Amino acid sequence: MMFELDPCEKCEEWMQPYLDRELNDAERAEAELHLDGCGYCRKRYRFEETLRVFVRDVCSEQMPLELKQKLASLRTPL
Amino acid sequence: MSEVTPTEPRRLAAEARDRVRFEEEALELADQVYRVARRLVGSREEAEDLVQDTYARAFRSWQSYTPGTNLRAWLLRILTNLNIDRGRRKQRAPEMQPLEEGDYYLYNKLEESSREPASDQDAVVERLSQDDVVSALSSVPHDFRDVVVLVDIGDFTYQDAAQILDIPIGTVMSRLHRGRRILKSALAEEAVGGS
Repeated sequence: MMFELDPCEKCEEWMQPYLDRELNDAERAEAELHLDGCGYCRKRYRFEETLRVFVRDVCSEQMPLELKQKLASLRTPL
Repeated sequence: MSEVTPTEPRRLAAEARDRVRFEEEALELADQVYRVARRLVGSREEAEDLVQDTYARAFRSWQSYTPGTNLRAWLLRILTNLNIDRGRRKQRAPEMQPLEEGDYYLYNKLEESSREPASDQDAVVERLSQDDVVSALSSVPHDFRDVVVLVDIGDFTYQDAAQILDIPIGTVMSRLHRGRRILKSALAEEAVGGS
Protein backbone atom coordinates (compact mmCIF):
# COMPACT_ATOMS: atom_id res chain seq x y z
CA MET A 1 0.00 0.00 0.00
CA MET A 2 1.10 3.52 -0.81
CA PHE A 3 1.70 4.71 2.75
CA GLU A 4 4.01 1.80 3.44
CA LEU A 5 6.34 2.70 0.57
CA ASP A 6 9.44 4.72 1.20
CA PRO A 7 9.07 8.29 -0.12
CA CYS A 8 11.15 7.70 -3.26
CA GLU A 9 9.21 4.54 -4.14
CA LYS A 10 6.00 6.44 -3.71
CA CYS A 11 7.37 9.23 -5.87
CA GLU A 12 8.24 6.67 -8.55
CA GLU A 13 4.66 5.36 -8.45
CA TRP A 14 3.38 8.91 -8.86
CA MET A 15 5.65 9.90 -11.72
CA GLN A 16 3.32 9.09 -14.60
CA PRO A 17 0.15 10.45 -13.01
CA TYR A 18 2.11 13.54 -11.93
CA LEU A 19 3.41 14.26 -15.42
CA ASP A 20 -0.03 13.49 -16.88
CA ARG A 21 -1.60 15.89 -14.35
CA GLU A 22 -3.73 13.11 -12.97
CA LEU A 23 -2.89 13.57 -9.28
CA ASN A 24 -5.33 15.41 -7.05
CA ASP A 25 -4.22 18.65 -5.40
CA ALA A 26 -3.14 17.05 -2.14
CA GLU A 27 -1.14 14.31 -3.88
CA ARG A 28 0.41 16.84 -6.21
CA ALA A 29 1.50 19.04 -3.31
CA GLU A 30 2.98 16.03 -1.53
CA ALA A 31 4.86 14.94 -4.65
CA GLU A 32 6.22 18.45 -5.16
CA LEU A 33 7.33 18.71 -1.58
CA HIS A 34 9.26 15.48 -1.97
CA LEU A 35 10.71 16.54 -5.33
CA ASP A 36 11.89 19.86 -3.88
CA GLY A 37 14.03 18.04 -1.39
CA CYS A 38 15.04 14.96 -3.39
CA GLY A 39 17.55 15.31 -6.22
CA TYR A 40 17.37 11.57 -6.93
CA CYS A 41 13.67 11.70 -7.86
CA ARG A 42 13.94 15.12 -9.50
CA LYS A 43 16.56 13.84 -11.95
CA ARG A 44 14.38 10.89 -12.86
CA TYR A 45 11.30 13.05 -13.39
CA ARG A 46 13.25 15.37 -15.68
CA PHE A 47 14.60 12.40 -17.56
CA GLU A 48 11.06 11.10 -18.10
CA GLU A 49 9.93 14.43 -19.52
CA THR A 50 12.89 14.58 -21.88
CA LEU A 51 12.37 10.94 -22.83
CA ARG A 52 8.74 11.49 -23.80
CA VAL A 53 9.70 14.30 -26.16
CA PHE A 54 12.56 12.22 -27.55
CA VAL A 55 10.32 9.19 -28.19
CA ARG A 56 7.78 11.34 -29.98
CA ASP A 57 10.43 13.01 -32.13
CA VAL A 58 12.26 9.89 -33.22
CA CYS A 59 9.05 7.97 -33.88
CA SER A 60 7.59 10.66 -36.11
CA GLU A 61 8.20 9.55 -39.63
CA GLN A 62 7.38 11.85 -42.52
CA MET A 63 4.66 10.63 -44.86
CA PRO A 64 6.06 9.72 -48.30
CA LEU A 65 5.09 12.24 -50.96
CA GLU A 66 3.73 9.54 -53.26
CA LEU A 67 1.28 8.46 -50.59
CA LYS A 68 0.07 12.02 -50.24
CA GLN A 69 -0.56 12.10 -53.98
CA LYS A 70 -2.33 8.74 -53.90
CA LEU A 71 -4.63 9.95 -51.14
CA ALA A 72 -5.47 13.09 -53.08
CA SER A 73 -6.33 10.91 -56.10
CA LEU A 74 -8.92 9.05 -53.98
CA ARG A 75 -11.03 12.18 -53.78
CA THR A 76 -14.40 12.21 -55.44
CA PRO A 77 -14.09 13.83 -58.86
CA LEU A 78 -15.93 17.12 -59.08
CA MET B 1 -38.90 21.83 -40.35
CA SER B 2 -38.64 24.54 -42.93
CA GLU B 3 -41.55 25.00 -45.25
CA VAL B 4 -39.29 25.91 -48.08
CA THR B 5 -37.53 22.81 -49.31
CA PRO B 6 -34.44 23.58 -51.32
CA THR B 7 -34.58 22.54 -54.88
CA GLU B 8 -32.71 19.37 -55.79
CA PRO B 9 -29.83 21.11 -57.61
CA ARG B 10 -29.32 23.41 -54.68
CA ARG B 11 -29.26 20.52 -52.26
CA LEU B 12 -26.76 18.68 -54.42
CA ALA B 13 -24.55 21.75 -54.68
CA ALA B 14 -24.56 22.14 -50.89
CA GLU B 15 -23.73 18.49 -50.46
CA ALA B 16 -20.87 18.70 -52.92
CA ARG B 17 -19.52 21.71 -51.08
CA ASP B 18 -19.65 19.85 -47.75
CA ARG B 19 -17.97 16.85 -49.28
CA VAL B 20 -15.16 18.93 -50.76
CA ARG B 21 -14.63 20.62 -47.42
CA PHE B 22 -14.58 17.25 -45.66
CA GLU B 23 -12.05 15.83 -48.10
CA GLU B 24 -9.79 18.83 -47.80
CA GLU B 25 -9.86 18.74 -44.02
CA ALA B 26 -9.21 15.01 -43.98
CA LEU B 27 -6.25 15.36 -46.34
CA GLU B 28 -4.74 18.09 -44.19
CA LEU B 29 -4.60 15.54 -41.38
CA ALA B 30 -2.94 12.84 -43.48
CA ASP B 31 0.56 13.48 -42.12
CA GLN B 32 -0.64 13.02 -38.57
CA VAL B 33 -2.69 9.95 -39.45
CA TYR B 34 0.31 8.40 -41.19
CA ARG B 35 2.60 9.14 -38.24
CA VAL B 36 0.35 7.12 -35.94
CA ALA B 37 -0.25 4.36 -38.49
CA ARG B 38 3.45 3.93 -39.03
CA ARG B 39 3.95 3.00 -35.37
CA LEU B 40 0.83 0.84 -35.08
CA VAL B 41 1.98 -1.59 -37.76
CA GLY B 42 5.28 -3.27 -38.48
CA SER B 43 6.33 -1.91 -41.85
CA ARG B 44 6.14 1.22 -43.95
CA GLU B 45 4.28 -0.68 -46.69
CA GLU B 46 1.62 -1.86 -44.28
CA ALA B 47 1.24 1.66 -42.91
CA GLU B 48 0.84 3.11 -46.42
CA ASP B 49 -1.76 0.48 -47.36
CA LEU B 50 -3.64 1.05 -44.16
CA VAL B 51 -3.72 4.82 -44.60
CA GLN B 52 -4.89 4.46 -48.21
CA ASP B 53 -7.68 2.09 -47.20
CA THR B 54 -8.62 4.44 -44.40
CA TYR B 55 -8.96 7.41 -46.73
CA ALA B 56 -10.83 5.38 -49.33
CA ARG B 57 -13.34 4.37 -46.67
CA ALA B 58 -13.50 7.83 -45.14
CA PHE B 59 -14.24 9.44 -48.51
CA ARG B 60 -16.96 6.87 -49.17
CA SER B 61 -18.64 7.28 -45.82
CA TRP B 62 -17.96 10.95 -45.19
CA GLN B 63 -21.61 11.57 -44.39
CA SER B 64 -21.36 9.54 -41.21
CA TYR B 65 -18.85 12.05 -39.83
CA THR B 66 -20.46 14.68 -37.59
CA PRO B 67 -19.03 18.11 -38.47
CA GLY B 68 -17.48 19.85 -35.50
CA THR B 69 -16.31 16.64 -33.84
CA ASN B 70 -12.71 15.45 -33.83
CA LEU B 71 -11.99 14.44 -37.43
CA ARG B 72 -8.53 13.12 -36.64
CA ALA B 73 -9.97 10.75 -34.03
CA TRP B 74 -12.71 9.72 -36.51
CA LEU B 75 -10.08 8.83 -39.11
CA LEU B 76 -8.00 6.92 -36.57
CA ARG B 77 -11.06 4.98 -35.49
CA ILE B 78 -11.51 3.80 -39.08
CA LEU B 79 -7.82 3.01 -39.29
CA THR B 80 -7.65 0.93 -36.12
CA ASN B 81 -10.80 -0.96 -37.10
CA LEU B 82 -9.34 -1.75 -40.51
CA ASN B 83 -6.15 -2.85 -38.84
CA ILE B 84 -8.07 -5.25 -36.61
CA ASP B 85 -10.14 -6.47 -39.58
CA ARG B 86 -6.92 -7.41 -41.29
CA GLY B 87 -6.55 -10.07 -38.68
CA ARG B 88 -3.56 -8.61 -36.99
CA ARG B 89 -4.82 -9.86 -33.64
CA LYS B 90 -4.78 -13.41 -34.92
CA GLN B 91 -1.17 -13.04 -35.98
CA ARG B 92 -0.13 -12.22 -32.49
CA ALA B 93 2.45 -14.55 -31.06
CA PRO B 94 1.36 -16.62 -28.08
CA GLU B 95 0.90 -14.30 -25.16
CA MET B 96 4.28 -13.47 -23.70
CA GLN B 97 4.53 -11.75 -20.41
CA PRO B 98 6.38 -8.56 -21.28
CA LEU B 99 9.09 -7.39 -18.96
CA GLU B 100 7.84 -4.49 -16.91
CA GLU B 101 10.03 -2.73 -14.40
CA GLY B 102 9.38 0.39 -12.34
CA ASP B 103 9.43 3.87 -13.82
CA TYR B 104 12.98 4.66 -12.66
CA TYR B 105 14.43 1.48 -14.12
CA LEU B 106 15.58 2.83 -17.49
CA TYR B 107 17.29 5.88 -16.00
CA ASN B 108 19.02 3.71 -13.42
CA LYS B 109 20.24 1.29 -16.07
CA LEU B 110 21.52 4.07 -18.30
CA GLU B 111 23.29 5.73 -15.43
CA GLU B 112 24.81 2.47 -14.20
CA SER B 113 26.08 1.58 -17.63
CA SER B 114 27.99 4.79 -18.13
CA ARG B 115 31.46 5.49 -16.81
CA GLU B 116 31.10 9.22 -16.55
CA PRO B 117 28.16 10.59 -14.57
CA ALA B 118 25.61 12.46 -16.62
CA SER B 119 25.64 16.19 -16.18
CA ASP B 120 22.04 16.57 -17.28
CA GLN B 121 19.04 14.52 -18.30
CA ASP B 122 19.37 15.36 -22.00
CA ALA B 123 22.76 13.70 -21.96
CA VAL B 124 21.24 10.54 -20.49
CA VAL B 125 18.52 10.47 -23.15
CA GLU B 126 21.17 10.94 -25.82
CA ARG B 127 22.54 7.54 -24.92
CA LEU B 128 19.48 6.14 -26.67
CA SER B 129 19.37 5.97 -30.45
CA GLN B 130 16.41 6.29 -32.77
CA ASP B 131 16.81 2.59 -33.64
CA ASP B 132 16.64 1.67 -29.95
CA VAL B 133 13.35 3.50 -29.56
CA VAL B 134 11.72 2.23 -32.75
CA SER B 135 12.78 -1.33 -32.04
CA ALA B 136 11.71 -1.17 -28.37
CA LEU B 137 8.33 0.27 -29.31
CA SER B 138 7.69 -2.44 -31.88
CA SER B 139 8.34 -5.07 -29.21
CA VAL B 140 5.56 -3.75 -26.94
CA PRO B 141 2.46 -5.99 -27.24
CA HIS B 142 -0.29 -4.51 -29.44
CA ASP B 143 -2.82 -3.72 -26.76
CA PHE B 144 -0.33 -1.60 -24.86
CA ARG B 145 1.41 -0.19 -27.90
CA ASP B 146 -1.83 1.09 -29.46
CA VAL B 147 -2.46 3.27 -26.44
CA VAL B 148 1.13 4.51 -26.12
CA VAL B 149 1.20 5.37 -29.83
CA LEU B 150 -2.13 7.22 -29.74
CA VAL B 151 -1.41 9.21 -26.58
CA ASP B 152 2.35 9.73 -26.60
CA ILE B 153 3.01 9.93 -30.33
CA GLY B 154 -0.38 10.88 -31.74
CA ASP B 155 -1.11 13.33 -28.93
CA PHE B 156 -4.66 12.09 -28.42
CA THR B 157 -6.44 12.61 -25.12
CA TYR B 158 -7.39 9.58 -23.02
CA GLN B 159 -10.98 10.20 -24.05
CA ASP B 160 -10.13 10.17 -27.76
CA ALA B 161 -7.99 7.06 -27.36
CA ALA B 162 -10.86 5.34 -25.54
CA GLN B 163 -13.25 6.15 -28.39
CA ILE B 164 -10.80 5.18 -31.11
CA LEU B 165 -10.06 1.81 -29.54
CA ASP B 166 -13.56 1.33 -28.15
CA ILE B 167 -12.34 0.59 -24.63
CA PRO B 168 -13.13 2.27 -21.29
CA ILE B 169 -11.04 5.27 -20.30
CA GLY B 170 -9.77 3.45 -17.20
CA THR B 171 -8.38 0.75 -19.49
CA VAL B 172 -6.65 3.43 -21.58
CA MET B 173 -4.98 4.77 -18.45
CA SER B 174 -3.85 1.42 -17.10
CA ARG B 175 -2.59 0.25 -20.50
CA LEU B 176 -0.77 3.54 -21.03
CA HIS B 177 0.86 3.30 -17.64
CA ARG B 178 1.96 -0.30 -18.15
CA GLY B 179 2.77 0.23 -21.82
CA ARG B 180 5.22 3.01 -21.02
CA ARG B 181 6.91 0.82 -18.43
CA ILE B 182 7.15 -2.07 -20.87
CA LEU B 183 8.59 0.33 -23.45
CA LYS B 184 11.18 1.60 -21.00
CA SER B 185 12.14 -1.92 -19.96
CA ALA B 186 12.54 -2.82 -23.65
CA LEU B 187 14.60 0.34 -24.16
CA ALA B 188 16.88 -0.66 -21.31
CA GLU B 189 17.33 -4.05 -22.99
CA GLU B 190 18.08 -2.39 -26.34
CA ALA B 191 20.44 0.20 -24.97
CA VAL B 192 22.39 -1.60 -22.29
CA GLY B 193 21.36 -5.24 -22.46
CA GLY B 194 19.53 -7.28 -19.85
CA SER B 195 20.09 -6.98 -16.18
